[in-house]
Amino acid sequence: MKEPLPFDHRPDPLVGEALRQALDPGDAAPFVARVLARAAEMRIASWDAVLARWARPGVAAAVLVALLAGYLVGRATAAPAPRPSVYDALLAPPAHPGEVEIVLASVIGN
Amino acid sequence: MADPQPPQQAARIAQQDEADLVLRAAAGDRSAFGVLVERYAGVARRVARAVLGNPEDADDAAQDAMLSALVKLDQYDPRRPFGPWLLRIVANAATDRRRRRTVRRVEPLDVGLTAGGPRPDTTAERRALGERLRQALAELPERRRVAVVLFDVEGYSHAEIAAVLGIPEGTVRSEVFHARRRLRALLADWKEEA
Repeated sequence: MKEPLPFDHRPDPLVGEALRQALDPGDAAPFVARVLARAAEMRIASWDAVLARWARPGVAAAVLVALLAGYLVGRATAAPAPRPSVYDALLAPPAHPGEVEIVLASVIGN
Repeated sequence: MADPQPPQQAARIAQQDEADLVLRAAAGDRSAFGVLVERYAGVARRVARAVLGNPEDADDAAQDAMLSALVKLDQYDPRRPFGPWLLRIVANAATDRRRRRTVRRVEPLDVGLTAGGPRPDTTAERRALGERLRQALAELPERRRVAVVLFDVEGYSHAEIAAVLGIPEGTVRSEVFHARRRLRALLADWKEEA
């Protein structure tokens, strides 16, 4: 048998065919089906993992959003605080009488 | 009738087609991934078997590699051919499995087969030759096995095999040469016996 050249760039058909037969894996269809089934399981599992990862922050965010919305709605619908009248502002006795004395004392002192 | 496409142009179109399939598979297109698995099932299983010997282990390794490739598809450079990229993953998966395998071993071969015993009929003869070749292949260093299978069975170039194995092209040539010498001697003995 002819010795192959060390740098022979062509495949050897004799060795190639013999090896192909020796390594023949048989029908590809069951193998392909198995790989695709596992790929589908992996995809489902990865979606489950994504959902599980986002579940807790998602619930926390929803609670925060609900609280904020409740606060804003409550503030918008609450009755407005009564505005002080001229009487209240000028003539009504001060809520903190001490303050007037402090002001007067400081004026007299000057 | 139109002239057939020149081989280089046909290869470019095939590569473009594969890059497109890979992009679609990476985007979640199951049918595109299915086409890739069908296209590479044979070579992936043969390469894994060249490394592992045992066909069940080889199929498990090839499957692991295909799934690993699916996960890593976003790392694939579409300007390069897909086959060597995938086969590198396959070869690594098979090597990892072989390293992990400690207890399970391939059934020992019939002494008559390895020592050149009688050959009852043609089918048995072919089976026996296959056993002998697998045995001879198993005796070669792992890199040499993968190199000769990729070159002589699958028709990959030295450069592509170098990319698969992560070794220089010159080393691939040398590995193929040594593997062929051993396997050719075995085939010659077989013919003489016949």
